[in-house]
Amino acid sequence: MRKGTRLRLVLRDLGSGSAFASMAVSGQLPLWSLVLYGVALVVALAGRRPFANRVKLTALLLLAVALTLGTNVLAGSLNLVVAACAFAGLISAQRLLSTPDAATDGQVHLSGLLMVAGGAALSGELVYGLFLIVFGVLASIALALGVVESAVPEGEPVPVRAVMGPLAMGVGFAVVGAVAFFILFPRLNWNMIGPGASPGLGVATAGFSNTVRLGGAGTIKDNPRIVLRATLTPDPEKETLDAYWVGRTYDVFDGMEWSNARATSNGSEFMTTLRPGQENLVHQHVELMPAYGARTLVALETPSRLGNAVANTQVGSRRTQIHELGGGEVRFRDSGISYSYEAYSLPPGASGDDVQDLPPEEQDSLLSLPEGLDVRVGQTAARVLNGERDPLAAARKLSAWLQREYSYTLELSGDVPDPVADFLFQRKQGHCEHFATALTLMLRTQGMRARLATGFFGGERVTGGYVVRAGDAHAWTHVLVPGRGFITVDATPPAHRASQSPRLLEQLINFYEVVESQWRDVVLDYNFRDQLTVVRSLTRSHEVPKKDAPPSRAPPPRAFGAALLAAAAAYTAWRLLTQFLSRERPLEATRFADAVEAQLASARITRVDGETLEALDARLARERHPLSPALTPVTRRYLEARFGGRPLQQGEATRLLTDLRRAVLTESQRVASEGTRPPQARAS
Amino acid sequence: MNQPARALSPVPSPANARTAMERIATQLDRAVQGKPSQLQLVVTSLVAGGHVLLEDVPGVGKTTLAEALAKACGLSFARVQFTADLMPADVLGAQVFHAQTATFQFRPGPLFRQLVLADELNRAPPRTQSALLEAMAQGQVSLDGATHALPAPFTVVATQNPVDFSGTYPLPDSQLDRFMVRMSLGHPTPEVEAGLLVTRDGTPPLDAVETVSEPEELASLRSFAAALRLDASVADYVVRLATATRSHGDLERGASTRAVLALGAAARAHALWDARDFATPGDVRAVLLPCWAHRIMLRSAVQGVSARDEAAHLLEEIARKVPAPR
Repeated sequence: MRKGTRLRLVLRDLGSGSAFASMAVSGQLPLWSLVLYGVALVVALAGRRPFANRVKLTALLLLAVALTLGTNVLAGSLNLVVAACAFAGLISAQRLLSTPDAATDGQVHLSGLLMVAGGAALSGELVYGLFLIVFGVLASIALALGVVESAVPEGEPVPVRAVMGPLAMGVGFAVVGAVAFFILFPRLNWNMIGPGASPGLGVATAGFSNTVRLGGAGTIKDNPRIVLRATLTPDPEKETLDAYWVGRTYDVFDGMEWSNARATSNGSEFMTTLRPGQENLVHQHVELMPAYGARTLVALETPSRLGNAVANTQVGSRRTQIHELGGGEVRFRDSGISYSYEAYSLPPGASGDDVQDLPPEEQDSLLSLPEGLDVRVGQTAARVLNGERDPLAAARKLSAWLQREYSYTLELSGDVPDPVADFLFQRKQGHCEHFATALTLMLRTQGMRARLATGFFGGERVTGGYVVRAGDAHAWTHVLVPGRGFITVDATPPAHRASQSPRLLEQLINFYEVVESQWRDVVLDYNFRDQLTVVRSLTRSHEVPKKDAPPSRAPPPRAFGAALLAAAAAYTAWRLLTQFLSRERPLEATRFADAVEAQLASARITRVDGETLEALDARLARERHPLSPALTPVTRRYLEARFGGRPLQQGEATRLLTDLRRAVLTESQRVASEGTRPPQARAS
Repeated sequence: MNQPARALSPVPSPANARTAMERIATQLDRAVQGKPSQLQLVVTSLVAGGHVLLEDVPGVGKTTLAEALAKACGLSFARVQFTADLMPADVLGAQVFHAQTATFQFRPGPLFRQLVLADELNRAPPRTQSALLEAMAQGQVSLDGATHALPAPFTVVATQNPVDFSGTYPLPDSQLDRFMVRMSLGHPTPEVEAGLLVTRDGTPPLDAVETVSEPEELASLRSFAAALRLDASVADYVVRLATATRSHGDLERGASTRAVLALGAAARAHALWDARDFATPGDVRAVLLPCWAHRIMLRSAVQGVSARDEAAHLLEEIARKVPAPR
């Protein structure tokens, strides 16, 4: 196989690989398709084409896979888009392993196009964009090399090195052009047909379910993805907020999981418009990031009012309704990629509710205990409390005891029949849900009303606001204090309340989040309206016109600034272009001279400090060098071609070089037969 | 012109031009032996339409060379010995009162020849020098409101003694710029000198020189040389060389535009030696030193021959640094 061909095939295969990767980053392709494609790619890159002789057999296999996929889709167990993408990957893999002829190359590239289209349908994320560009570049170069290769006669080497420069240049121009096209032309939004992946780094984990279940196996992964950004008024101006962001509460525990006595509290939907003015409350403007993955609104303890809800969807941002569910949970009515809303919370201290405000069945549920609760729970609580009857003091005493006697772990306990007893009397270690559940139940055994609250704990300062990470998800206890309402008591050891990720990882994630939000704003959600906004913001003045001044018709200064910038950009582009066009290209005659000098160098005749071929020829003639008679006509022809306006004819250079090579060979044979060294050319 | 000139073919070709130039050089070699490169340079300058400045000690054949050149080319010749009391009218000519017609008539001076040897140019006062040099530049003489054209082709070969400066008026640099090439003959090699002793039996060396050309042929050679192709890259090379001299730290003043043009013309004429109809960087390099060494002005205070050597050295260095087009 020719050298150029090998390179082209590797580029083709890598391009196909990145097309597949653009689908794979969505995380939705079935594992078996990833494995199959990966193996095929590795085998193809190693230069082996095992399917070359088994085309029909493998095509039949593909057909079988297609049938299986189709059945799965019909049965509803597989999304159609995912199935199509996986099948495109398999076609590509089969083509990669077949005989690399022109038709196969075309099919590989075609399947690559199919795969990037599938990738757009599946995710359209930042990483997808990167793989799309890589595919475009690699496949373009591979295609162009194929054209060059077919133009070179059989048996001759492909001039890879010579064409690579112009090729890279062309591909660079194409990429720049594609970006310009992207910015300038209105487009449809992507990602409208796919199954709606949770975007970004893997699956979002901060979901709020209707229940909290203790137990389960494995380890809680500490996810540093940012799920929430909030701007607080008044700004606490602390580096770490260490505040509780409550999502919902639970009041009934059945021994395994928490739920609510009433599924929905009132079920009403509302669209509240909040206006500034409630100075004694803490105002929050909250953005729920795509990694949040849920529709539950969270707010600082204790939320008072929520409103101004906006859902950012594929087709733009719009006001949306929110509705209240059980446990005080407030949800967005419509799903979107991200959300924003405003919230007012009571300052830390107390909630406005009192026992009397709650409906009786809810008051009862705050004291309910699961059937068959281990009696030791109540005994232990009574022992620890030692006669303490004030609910708040009792809760603090119990939580201090829990923090002292129990240790924190991210390891889940596994499915045990009684997780609370297991935590309190067997393992003596657990995570926040164990601590909070234990505290709540122990309070209830002593006749004090308490409930479980879930949400986030934390908040670290980033550019004027606070961010909360998925790993900050937390559970704690609300204890009802007569006259003051629900008070937060946290039984989890303070060091383990917030996210435990390494600092560096958090910083990397921060960086990724910034880039990703830019990608989302500038690329994915960049639409016709944004284009108009850009233009409008350039031409419209934001200053409030003075009442007395006559209305000015002149464009605002920023219009001039924009025009200047555009002119500067155009000028720079023009300069670069002219520079590029007027740059010195190696002439054919110059390349010929290089070839002649290379031959002379092989005859151990070297140029002395920057000597031109002309000067070298003159020197050899003066020295009566034996090669001079052969070199002079060659030099003469070079000079004519280079400076005399008589370009070399087709094949003439080859002929002249052949003659010269013959003369060099004859001379070296003569020297060898005489047994003397050839006269070394020296500066005269 | 005793012999019929061997006429050039009606359509001059580079090969024919080379033949003609070699013919002239062969005749010059009979008068000034053992100096092929200098003779080649003189002929190059003649074909390029430039004037020649010979700087050398007395007695090495400067005058002989000029006379031989006139004879070989069949040019009308005058020799003007420049002295301290030489007046412009002695060179250019003067209005003379004609008694019979009671009018002034112009009587042309020795300058009205096709080849003028200005011997020991630096001995004449600046007034006379500049009269000559203006005529060299313009190709005509303006006197009392009338313009008198000099014969064509018009060439001046000036000589000066670079060693003995007493009682001389050294040529200002602006005047030097008007000579296309400056060269020195130098002493002949011992073999040539010994040969001279043996063979020269009293006959003047000029007797051996035959007229092998004619003014018309020289004029056609000049126009042919002037029309030779100078590739844009070669022109750029010349300009880059000039720029390098202008920005060189050791040079007070670099090559002028006239110097650039002269180098181009000389390079074109030099290309004919190789029977080429285009000039190459090699041609430029070949005539660079004689063309420019007397035109660039050093910062150091050296004068005369050593200044020329120093300038030639600097030019060599510059030519090494400025890459030739490939």
